[in-house]
Amino acid sequence: MKILVITEQRQGKWNNTSFETLVAAQQIAADTSSAVGALVIGKGVANFTEDLAGKSIAEVLLVEHDLLESYTPDGYSLALLQVIASSKPDLVLFPHTYQVRDFAPKLAAMMGKGMIADCVGFHKEGDKVVFVRQMFQGKTVADVTFQGPSPWFASFQSGAFRADLLKAHPSGKAPVNKIAVELKPEQIRTKPLDLFKEAKSSVDLTQAPVIVSIGRGIKAPENIPQAEALAKAIGGEMAASRPICDEGWLPMERQIGSSGQTVAPKLYLALGISGAIQHVVGMKGARTIVAINKDQNAPIFEIADYGIVGDIFEIMPALTAALEKAKT
Amino acid sequence: MTVQREQLEADVLIVGAGPAGLSCALHLANLIKKHNEAGGAAGGPALSTENIYVLEKGREVGAHQLSGAIMNPKALAELVPDYKTSAPLDTSVTDDAALFFTKNSSICFPLTPPPFKNKGNYVVSLNKIVKWMGGLVEAAGVNLFTQFGGASLIYEGEGIAGVITEDKGVDKNGKPKANFTPGYELRAKVTVLAEGTRGSLTKQLVEKKNLANINPQTYGLGIKELWDVQPGRIQPGFVAHTLGWPISTDMYGGGWIYGLSNNRVSIGLVVALEYSDPRFDPHAAFQQWKTHPFLKKILDGGKLVRYGAKSLPYGGWYAMPRNYLDGGLIIGDSGSFLDSQRLKGIHLAMKSGMLAAETIFDALKAGDTSAKTLNAFPKKVEQSYIKNELWQVRNFHQSFQHGLLTGLFQTGLQFISGGRGLIDPMRNHEGYQAYKKLDRLAAGAARTEPERFKGDGKLTFDRLTDVYHSGTRHEEDQPCHLIVRDLNVCATKCVVEYGNPCQYFCPAAVYEMAKDSNGRPKLKINAANCVHCKTCDIADPYQIIDWVVPEGGGGPNYEGM
Amino acid sequence: MKIIVCIKQVPAKDAPLSIAGNWIKESDIGFEMNEPDSYALEEALRLKEKHGGEVVAISMGPERVKQTIKEALAKGADRGIHISDDQFAQLDPLSSARMLAEALRKENADLILTGLQSDDHGFGQTGVLVASLLDLPHATIIMQIEVQEKNMRLKRELEAGWFQHIECPLPAVLSIQSGINKVRYATLKGIMAAKKKEIASITRESLGVRSEPTQKIENFYVPTKTKKTEFLTGTPAEMATKLVEKLKFDARVI
Repeated sequence: MKILVITEQRQGKWNNTSFETLVAAQQIAADTSSAVGALVIGKGVANFTEDLAGKSIAEVLLVEHDLLESYTPDGYSLALLQVIASSKPDLVLFPHTYQVRDFAPKLAAMMGKGMIADCVGFHKEGDKVVFVRQMFQGKTVADVTFQGPSPWFASFQSGAFRADLLKAHPSGKAPVNKIAVELKPEQIRTKPLDLFKEAKSSVDLTQAPVIVSIGRGIKAPENIPQAEALAKAIGGEMAASRPICDEGWLPMERQIGSSGQTVAPKLYLALGISGAIQHVVGMKGARTIVAINKDQNAPIFEIADYGIVGDIFEIMPALTAALEKAKT
Repeated sequence: MTVQREQLEADVLIVGAGPAGLSCALHLANLIKKHNEAGGAAGGPALSTENIYVLEKGREVGAHQLSGAIMNPKALAELVPDYKTSAPLDTSVTDDAALFFTKNSSICFPLTPPPFKNKGNYVVSLNKIVKWMGGLVEAAGVNLFTQFGGASLIYEGEGIAGVITEDKGVDKNGKPKANFTPGYELRAKVTVLAEGTRGSLTKQLVEKKNLANINPQTYGLGIKELWDVQPGRIQPGFVAHTLGWPISTDMYGGGWIYGLSNNRVSIGLVVALEYSDPRFDPHAAFQQWKTHPFLKKILDGGKLVRYGAKSLPYGGWYAMPRNYLDGGLIIGDSGSFLDSQRLKGIHLAMKSGMLAAETIFDALKAGDTSAKTLNAFPKKVEQSYIKNELWQVRNFHQSFQHGLLTGLFQTGLQFISGGRGLIDPMRNHEGYQAYKKLDRLAAGAARTEPERFKGDGKLTFDRLTDVYHSGTRHEEDQPCHLIVRDLNVCATKCVVEYGNPCQYFCPAAVYEMAKDSNGRPKLKINAANCVHCKTCDIADPYQIIDWVVPEGGGGPNYEGM
Repeated sequence: MKIIVCIKQVPAKDAPLSIAGNWIKESDIGFEMNEPDSYALEEALRLKEKHGGEVVAISMGPERVKQTIKEALAKGADRGIHISDDQFAQLDPLSSARMLAEALRKENADLILTGLQSDDHGFGQTGVLVASLLDLPHATIIMQIEVQEKNMRLKRELEAGWFQHIECPLPAVLSIQSGINKVRYATLKGIMAAKKKEIASITRESLGVRSEPTQKIENFYVPTKTKKTEFLTGTPAEMATKLVEKLKFDARVI
């Protein structure tokens, strides 16, 4: 089987989830004796191929065109359609980014194919690759397979695979091949204008890969900075159970639970949260759950992967320190 | 805040889409249809079913309906003659038993006492029955508005002229949000209050217009769980009522176990809200009751499906408020139409709704909806089986004021004297007046704060887990709908005199005693957990809690209950 | 402007989920409008208020779906389209998009709006697919829409606090970001008026679209925790170090 990973970059910087998808591709390839290719698309992006050529893949494809300088769904779909026609991959993989959501289903549909999007993993059953995705906001999981002949299109959720497990090229470098594509200005219907950054007026916890959440155990708002320091050290977003938001110690948009957000991050750290069902339904889809609570019978431990029965005021600073140390 | 309200006019406005309200709407719609088909009244006003408005505060019809339930079909048979084939009846009662529980055993009464005999009745989900009725009402052209509550009454002259619905889109500090939509001024020739138990508008009206009867209304609190159990554990149609453990003999209460089809079972415990220990916890008692071997055998290996709680009016005939006034009628539980002996209120609610419909029909035709004409309603009630049934048990609940044993003795006498018994009418106090102050309780019992029930998560559950299974949801950012008129009382007086019973009697963990930044007790209200049972409004010892209608659509989701 | 809003009816958020085959048991649970779609509907209604025209609500599924269409009508949509299909929940995203596209083809709408994704399946592809099938330009995760004649100026959300303005011609398909507006309440007058508004019913078969499934759900389950909770012991410093190690090397989440 031939696997092609479509990587993503913007304004001269990698979207690192591209590497996570490459890891997924390498793992699928190992299980199915397949070859992996990685593709860079845009204009003036040849330098990105270097990072990919050093990895354990069969080839790097470079697709450049004036009309691909800025991303547009029409541009990317039409260009990649031509690449797939000539390169004939069996499985086309994407990281599940906002950009991929915008064009990848269209690309698949143009070939009469359906896409299995936002997968959290895969496994092999016999000779079929089974893709795993969540439904009902993480409350249920579905094993999905493709029907019909290739090419097949799938995307992986951010954090589903670890980028640092990427295997380096064993001997030298993978070859970089240019693929020419034809695009006409009238084919590009939307016109991309300025890109700008805004202090986000609201936080989308559903997109956070790591969440540090506080409960009643935090006792007073003066103690929250300790949790925030921990969140900073671990690269996570702050969240809370209901009572904290009710008191106004954190804004309502940070509330996790049946009356707040439902999240399924790769890591959820529950500090001083008892684990009432109203909270648990909002986060039990998280891949790894760490619970710290001084009550060993707290229901949160029933769903935790790792548990510490202890005083959060001792554990929080210790954890922050250990994380800083691990960074060095 | 002063708001401009949109005005709407209807012929009839029914507040509440429960069995009483919907029976009223459906029967009235049928009467109007027949009237119009017969050419209408010569010279009388034109009548249309579209001028009947029904308001329902729940997200959909049936969402707030909770009952055991065993239904006597006689009223439904009159309202919908083909009910046997069209109504969601679940199952006929096949077996009825009365059990007396001790901690570890159960004794079956050799003869099922007459009030507990239920052959010919049906085990039903009231939520499903009401949903089905809602469909019939809408098909008849009636305007049924879900997610709208009656927030306040429009008074006019000696009576009422309609209702103002709640403002929507108000934030928790009372300020309008971007989607603020003021409530409507809904005027009607006749306003029917069918709000169910301890209706908030009914409470206001009874007080303002002095409609109360010789006895104040008294209430029970019913707590229910719906379970899916292993096959073979329960027969569909099996009905059992239990007395005894864990309810002590100085309290009035008991449990029920009803078998539905598909291995589903309805269980619950009802307790009269007139007990002496203010820290009694009805939810904990219910969980305890489930650990009885009889229950355990049924529930073991099963799954909790839904939880809910609701108060019920026990006062009967002598607590029935005056139910008619200029432009207004009171029906159903709001009007005390419940037989507390047989625990049957559904058919009486329906019948009261139908009699109200007949009264209203005549009033509309005559163009006169004053008290004089609406007086026909209580007269019709007198002539109907409602009176027969309620008259027999007019002193029933009051007999138990002094405990189970004297109660059984009194009601035994009443049974053989057509309800008269030793004292007729038997007077009673309001339920909250039964509380003993903490320093008067049995020595030692008072000072220790009872341990809060935790549950094992499989057979028994803590309050929060149960509340989750009630499906209750409210718009978060809205004013608190539980108005405590003086929070100082909670923090200084109640904490000493009664130990803040709200944290024990609320089956939905709405009330919590926390500590403020100075370590002093502070009442915390988790309004979003509210299941609209009205217990707090009823059982608060100082009567300073007013339950008002929250933003429409909020509340429990009693699917299947 | 003629604006079509694609609305999905999904199981109520708090409904207890029981697995039945490769879907959930649909009896005895409540259903409601997919929350992300309610923002799309609100956006459509605001555009109508500003530019005039009509808003059409379309939904697919069994008979009960009509209730959600009625809610859209009660809020101000002018008419509804119901594609009747009892097996709707079984369709893969491309197949459902094909049905929608076919039903909408003759409408020649100026704008088709969808929510970001559904709370049940969560595919998040409907808007993009409908655009592709109708050969219309599209944009997703839209926060703001400014209509100027036959063109629109849109604000689109990207990751990490980045946004972008784009120009898009009409007609087009847009997927609306959740939470961008405060959804209005249905008014009493709106509920009454909804009773008189048209809901056109079409069967899936009558659309004449043949669509082979492109994917299959082999297994559908509630994830169970296969690992037991690993409790860490020691001094706070020791436990912290151990935890960081485990998270790094065992769980591989940091």
